[in-house]
Amino acid sequence: MHFKTPESLKLGLSQQQYIANDEIATILFLSQELGKPLLAEGPAGVGKTELAKSIAAASNRELIRLQCYEGLDETKALYEWEYAKQLLYTQLLRDKLQETLANSQNLTDAADRLAAEEDVFFSMRFLLQRPLLKAILSEKPTVLLIDEIDRADAEFEAFLLEVLSDFQISVPELGTLNAVHRPMVVLTSNNTRELSEALKRRCLYLFINYPDLEQELSVVRLKVPELSSKLARQAVELVQSLRSMDLRKSPSISETLDWAKALVAINARNIDQPTLERTLSVLLKHETDLQQARRVIQRMNKDGGVDDHPSFNPRLGRRN
Amino acid sequence: MDERIIQFIAALRSAGVRVSLAESADAFEAIKKLGVSSRNLFRISLAATLVKEASDQAKFEELFPLFFATSEVPPFDNLENELSDQEMRQLMEALQKYNRERLKRLLERLINGTPLTPQELQELADQVGMESAQDLRFRDWMAQRMSRALGFDALRNVLAELVEELERAGMSSERAQQIREMLADNQSSLMDQLREFAGQRIAEQMSKQKPEQAQDGLLNRPFGSLSEKEIDQLRKETRRLANALRTRIALRQKRAKSGNLDAKATIRANLKNNSVPIELHHREKVLKPKLVAICDISTSMRACSEFMLGLLYALQDQISKTQAFAFIDHLEYISPDFSKKEPNEAVEQVLYRLPSGHYNTDLGNSLKNFYDNFLNFLDNRTTLIVVGDGRNNYNNPRLDLFFQLKRRVRKVIWLNPENQSQWSQGDSDMQQYAPLCDNVLQVGNMAELAAAVDRLLG
Repeated sequence: MHFKTPESLKLGLSQQQYIANDEIATILFLSQELGKPLLAEGPAGVGKTELAKSIAAASNRELIRLQCYEGLDETKALYEWEYAKQLLYTQLLRDKLQETLANSQNLTDAADRLAAEEDVFFSMRFLLQRPLLKAILSEKPTVLLIDEIDRADAEFEAFLLEVLSDFQISVPELGTLNAVHRPMVVLTSNNTRELSEALKRRCLYLFINYPDLEQELSVVRLKVPELSSKLARQAVELVQSLRSMDLRKSPSISETLDWAKALVAINARNIDQPTLERTLSVLLKHETDLQQARRVIQRMNKDGGVDDHPSFNPRLGRRN
Repeated sequence: MDERIIQFIAALRSAGVRVSLAESADAFEAIKKLGVSSRNLFRISLAATLVKEASDQAKFEELFPLFFATSEVPPFDNLENELSDQEMRQLMEALQKYNRERLKRLLERLINGTPLTPQELQELADQVGMESAQDLRFRDWMAQRMSRALGFDALRNVLAELVEELERAGMSSERAQQIREMLADNQSSLMDQLREFAGQRIAEQMSKQKPEQAQDGLLNRPFGSLSEKEIDQLRKETRRLANALRTRIALRQKRAKSGNLDAKATIRANLKNNSVPIELHHREKVLKPKLVAICDISTSMRACSEFMLGLLYALQDQISKTQAFAFIDHLEYISPDFSKKEPNEAVEQVLYRLPSGHYNTDLGNSLKNFYDNFLNFLDNRTTLIVVGDGRNNYNNPRLDLFFQLKRRVRKVIWLNPENQSQWSQGDSDMQQYAPLCDNVLQVGNMAELAAAVDRLLG
C-alpha cells in the first residue's frame, strides 16, 4: 500500500499499535516518496526495529530483515552458490549427462553439448538468496530492515552503499539483476560507532529519542491495557525520572512495557517500596544502577514524592 | 523561498554542519513533495535531509527559527491604554527627574510600548559592531551590548525606585507594583526583539561567509603556524580524518594473510574444487592495540597533543584500550576527561588542573610519576606513545626510567614535531631518547599526524 500523506501513514502505524510522532511519520513518508533509505538512530530499545516491522505491516509489504554483526560478509548478506546441491545434482544426473554426450562425434562436439547445458547448473535454482538479494528479486514490494548496521564492519558498509544506491546486483555467472520493486529500506543504528558519511549522505536521517511522558504513557496504555491508568502514570513518571539519572543503561520503552506487565502480573495496586523492590530489576539491569535508583527513590519518598503509601518501609530500601 | 533555503544551508555549513550538494538537492526534493504550508512538516523535511548527526541537531534547531520566523514582533503593552489619566500623570512626574536624553527616550518607548523599527535596529547594530559577529555564540553578547546602548543599565535603578516614588505620589502599592511589572514586561519584549534581531543578523552573516577553503593546505601546515581559527577548522576536520583512517585500517585488517585456518570458510570456498583445499582462508585474530599515550601539553606542544588525542579517541573502536596522560612539570591521568568531553574541552580542563608556568616542562619528573603510579598499565601488548619535543629545560631526562618502561611494552613510538637537525640544539634531550624508541616519527602537521596514527594502529 502506498500512503498519500504523512497523516495517513501515521494512522496506518497506529493501527499496528505503533505510536508515531509527526517527525517519524513525516520522515518515513518522505523515505517512501523519494525512494531513499531511512537511517534511524537512537538509544537501544526506543522502537527502531519495531518501526520497520510496523511500517511493513501497515503498508502490507513483506519484511525482510538483515541482522548485522561483526564479520558479516557478502555471502551472508547477498547470495551464495549452493555448491553441495550442484554437486549432488551432477552426481544424480550423471546418467542423463552420459546419454547427452553418448553419440557425440568427437571431443569438441561433446564439450559443446556440455556447454549448452551449463546454464542448468548456474541458474537461480542453485543460488541461495540472502536477505539483500531476496529484497531485490521479490515479486511483491518489500520493506528491507538492515538492523544494527553499526555492528557490521566498515567494508560491509561500503559494499552496502553500492546496493542501496542503484538496487542492482551483479552476479558474474548470471549477469546483472535489477530490482523488481524498489524496497523500502530502513537502517537502524545504536551509534556504537560512527557510520561513514557516504552512507549517511544517501539516507534520510531520523533520530528517535526516548519519548516524553504523555507519549510513553499512551504506549503503555495501548500495549498493556490491563494496567490501571493511575498506576500506569505513576510507573511512567518513575521511568522518566530514572532516565534523567546518570545510569549505565537507562530503561528503554520495551523495559517500561515489561515492567508494566510485571506490575499487572503481581497484581500491584500501588507503586510502593515493596513492589518496587520486587520488580525494579525488570527496569534496571546493572547492580550499580539498581543501588543508585533505590537511593534516589528513597530520598524522593522522604520528600513525599513518588508515593505516600502507609506501608512504606525504609528498611526494604537496603539490599540484604 | 528557494533563496532563503539556500541561505539557510549556507549558514548551517558555516556553523560546522557538513551538508553536501546531494543533500541540499534532497532537501528541495522533499519540500517539493510536502510543500511549505505546514511549518512543522517543512522543518522535519529539512532536518531529515540536511542533518545526519544527532549532535548537529541542536545547531539546526537554533538556526531554523532565525531563517523561518513565525511571529514578527513580541507583544508590547501600551500603558496609556491601561492607566487612568491621573495615574499617567503620577507616573510622568515620578519619571521626570530622569532627564538624560537616552534614558528619557527609552522610558517613553517603554510607556508607549513601541517596538524598535528596522532602522533603529540597524543603528544599534552599527554601534555595537555587529558585522564582525560570525557565530551564534555571540548572539546573547550582541543583544546585551545593544540593550546597553539603549540604556538598559540605568533602567534597572529606575524600576527599582519607581514603586517607592509612585507610592509617595499617593498610589496604592499594589497598583504601583503593577505598573512596574508592565514596564518590565515591555522591557523584556524589547530584549526579545533585540535577541531575535541579533540572531537573524548573525545567521545572515554566517550564510554570506565564504565556504572554507580546501583543507589540504591546512593539513600540511605546521602546527606552530596555525591561527586560533584554523585550529578550530582542523578540529572539525579531525572526525572526518578519523573516519577515513578507520576505513583504511579495517580494510587492511581484512586483507591480512596470516592467522588461524578458518575451516568453515576454507571448505566453503573449496567446494568448487571438489573439496580439495586449494584456496586457504584464514581467520586472523585481530589483536587490537592497547595504547598508553604520554602527551606534552606545554604551550608549544598543545595543538599537536590535542589533535593526536582527538584522533585516538575518535578511533576508539579500533583500539582495545587507550590510557592517556598529560604532563608539563608532572604527570596527570586524563583518560576520564576524554571519555566524556570533546578533545579541546578536555584539554582545556586538564590545563586548568595543570597550570603551565614558564619553561617548566619536565619529562624526567613525569616519567617518575608514571613509573611510581601507573606501571600496571603497561604490558607486552601495549604500545607506548610519547608526544613531545624532548625539551626538558635541562632537567634530568631519567633515561633509566624510560628504559624500564620500554622493556615492559611491545613498542615505544615517539612523535616529535621537530626534525632531526633540531634535536641536538638547546635543551633537547631527543638525541638520548631516540635510540630507546622503536620509532621516532616527525609530526609537524596534521597530515603527518594522521599518517603516524595510521601506522600506530596498523
